Amino acid sequence: MKIKFVDTGFKKATTLIALIVVALTLLLVYNMATNAIPSIQKLGARFLFTSTWDPVKEDFGALPFIYGTIVSSFLALLIAVPVSLGIAVYLAELAPQFIRQPLSFLVELLAAIPSVVYGLWGIFGLAPFLRSTIQPFLSRYLGFLPIFKGEFYGVSMFTAGIILSFMIIPTISSVSREVFLAVPFTQREAALALGATSWEKIRLAVLGYSRSGVLGAIILGLGRALGETMAVTMVIGNRPEISASLFAPSYTMASVIANEFTEATSNMYLSALIEIGLVLFFVTLLVNITARVLVWKVTNKVEGGIRE
Amino acid sequence: MKEEIIVSNLNAYFGSVQALKDINISINEKMVTAIIGPSGCGKSTFIRCINRLHEVVPHARVSGTILLDGKDIYSPDVDPMDIRRKVGMVFQKPNPFPALSIYDNVAAGLQLNGITKRDHLDDIVEKTLKMAALWDEVKDKLNSSGISLSGGQQQRLCIARALAVKPEVILFDEPASALDPISTGKIEELILDLKTNYTIVIVTHNMQQAARISDYTGFFFLGELVEFDETSNIFTNPKDKKTEDYVTGRFG
Amino acid sequence: MNFYKKRKIVNRLMCSLAFLCAFLTLVPLLSIFGYVVSKGITSINLDFFIHLPKPVGESGGGMGNAIVGTLILIGLSCIWAIPVGICGGVYLSEFGNNKLGTIVRFTADVLNGVPSIVIGIFAYTLFVVPMKSFSAISGGFALGIIMIPTIMRTTEEMLILVPRTIREAALALGISQFRTTISIVLKTALPGIMTGILLAIARIAGETAPLLFTALGNRFWQRGLTQPIAALPLQIFAYAISPFDDWHRQAWAGALVLIVMVFLMSFISRFVIARRYKFLRSS
Repeated sequence: MKIKFVDTGFKKATTLIALIVVALTLLLVYNMATNAIPSIQKLGARFLFTSTWDPVKEDFGALPFIYGTIVSSFLALLIAVPVSLGIAVYLAELAPQFIRQPLSFLVELLAAIPSVVYGLWGIFGLAPFLRSTIQPFLSRYLGFLPIFKGEFYGVSMFTAGIILSFMIIPTISSVSREVFLAVPFTQREAALALGATSWEKIRLAVLGYSRSGVLGAIILGLGRALGETMAVTMVIGNRPEISASLFAPSYTMASVIANEFTEATSNMYLSALIEIGLVLFFVTLLVNITARVLVWKVTNKVEGGIRE
Repeated sequence: MKEEIIVSNLNAYFGSVQALKDINISINEKMVTAIIGPSGCGKSTFIRCINRLHEVVPHARVSGTILLDGKDIYSPDVDPMDIRRKVGMVFQKPNPFPALSIYDNVAAGLQLNGITKRDHLDDIVEKTLKMAALWDEVKDKLNSSGISLSGGQQQRLCIARALAVKPEVILFDEPASALDPISTGKIEELILDLKTNYTIVIVTHNMQQAARISDYTGFFFLGELVEFDETSNIFTNPKDKKTEDYVTGRFG
Repeated sequence: MNFYKKRKIVNRLMCSLAFLCAFLTLVPLLSIFGYVVSKGITSINLDFFIHLPKPVGESGGGMGNAIVGTLILIGLSCIWAIPVGICGGVYLSEFGNNKLGTIVRFTADVLNGVPSIVIGIFAYTLFVVPMKSFSAISGGFALGIIMIPTIMRTTEEMLILVPRTIREAALALGISQFRTTISIVLKTALPGIMTGILLAIARIAGETAPLLFTALGNRFWQRGLTQPIAALPLQIFAYAISPFDDWHRQAWAGALVLIVMVFLMSFISRFVIARRYKFLRSS
């Protein structure tokens, strides 16, 4: 009888604590939403589609930040996706056995570096390097493209995109690698039995089979890029303007919160910043859920492709 | 009668474990040769040596010679890719490429070999699917995914995929073990049809199946080829005691 | 035959590209390492660890308060996040095979994906607004929220790995489920759970964004938990974007300390993981 009493108590206590986690998450949404209400009520949908950011007149349009977040994240994906897939293919399919563990550990170390250290390196290492070597090259040969026009001061959308790509490579490559390893061996053998080369085997059996999982990995990386704050804030230049050139400074949703939150003197100003946070929350939520579902579908698929 | 595959002194290993010991066997052209034996006796390993698929398993290696059309497939100047194109394989479980349509599954091997003209592909895909007795069932849904088919249909799709690249030999690794009796019957019929044009080697744990469809049968036990003869002899008049025990169901 | 050759070339090319990708990734890693070590090491000395930051213009000084501040913040977040995370993990593995368990798991995943700056806003609305002051407590709360999902999910995974037979043996002796879980199951899974905790600490040690408007930063030694508090990453950030060379040097030194801390924890947890898996394989 006593055992039963203790055990019921034990179950209740852990359940309660697990519920705290749920409650905290709901509270997060509720608190953000209530604090964003003044801004939502005053500005409505205009908030998302205009580009004035005037704390004095209390007129806020978040478009430049939304634009900066989207463009920097996609720029990061543009670089990180091919590289990450290359890493994952090499680690899962091609690398000699003894190299796989240490190499994947090194790639994962890239994820352990704190964001602020990335930013520091971005300011003093990467930005000057881009300015002295990559940018002159791009301006010279591809300068006719609007995205590579204009002056380059080191801090820019371009720099932010590159640094973000380094930060999401570990995520995309390690999830993709896992997804590749979940591809049944018979798929690879089926390709080989048709006379495929190593690469054709990878393309036909591995990449084909794991398409949706890889998409999930990419979206997971996107989720990380969208919410990344410090490194981007330190190298993007923080100017709320929409410019066609990647060499121009820009601003992201996370950066504007980081820079202006403690300076927000009026309630309206703070509310506008919190509304940006709320938008960021919902966007990353959507992105992360999509990614999880996609990855989960692949790693739980029945072997060999028989439908039962 | 021509000997298409001549295996001599074949040994196969997984790391330090020897899976095949000194196998010598000749396989005749345009005949069905069945390989039987209890599980773990090396029968799958044996046929995987014929298309050089054994060596893709980590730490696996092979010694000895296998002559295909008089040329040693293990000689250093031979590219395994070539061998695998000439020696097709159908696996234990149906394994169509799930990302590809039925059409593309059949066309996959052709496209690898540079055949990309649509008319030509259409032609071969249709012919091959007919050969695999699948055309009537799938002709209206060639663009749907290969895994939308039933298990038996999937296996025939895999046979079509192997046939499309025009191999000389087709290896079957227990092709019906994951299928129901009706699908199994269809696969067996198909194998009998195919033997007019192809040399067939089939691994099976089902002795009735071996008796029904094969011309020759080899009995493997613990990595050795115990006996190899015409199928009727193996089942009615085996020379070795172990073979007799196995085919009469006393072990295995 | 020509086509055959082309296939071979494509094969070579793609395989080399994959190889190149894998090794090119090491370039930024080595570059960051190189910068942090070479620039940081020259500014590190005893003063750096025990002194306060000097005002602008005066050289010297250190980040002693920020290092202590980071340790305090880590302690504060561990105090509440570790119990909550472990209990949540116990719930998921022992009683979580139902709808509620799925909801909790899903929420943990959601929480794990929330940008840390948003967590900062949440902590701000929950603590800073009512207390009318930035504080160490609000910072510890924000960092704790970031830790919880990691600890919870590792605890769950590690507990599930404990063989059923061990549980059943204990229950068969008439020991309560509570005692079984606490003194046998949790104890067996402890190294694995420690790994999760270390990884979580490694992650929050470098977090900056959620501290910007909770802990805020402070140029003096800590007075109390309801006061703003300095943190290493905050200090690095402030110095990095400042215009003074002297402060840049200090930022590099801070980055070196931070990165050594974070990597040490990653290495230790790796080591523990390796041992843990060896244990499970042998049992």
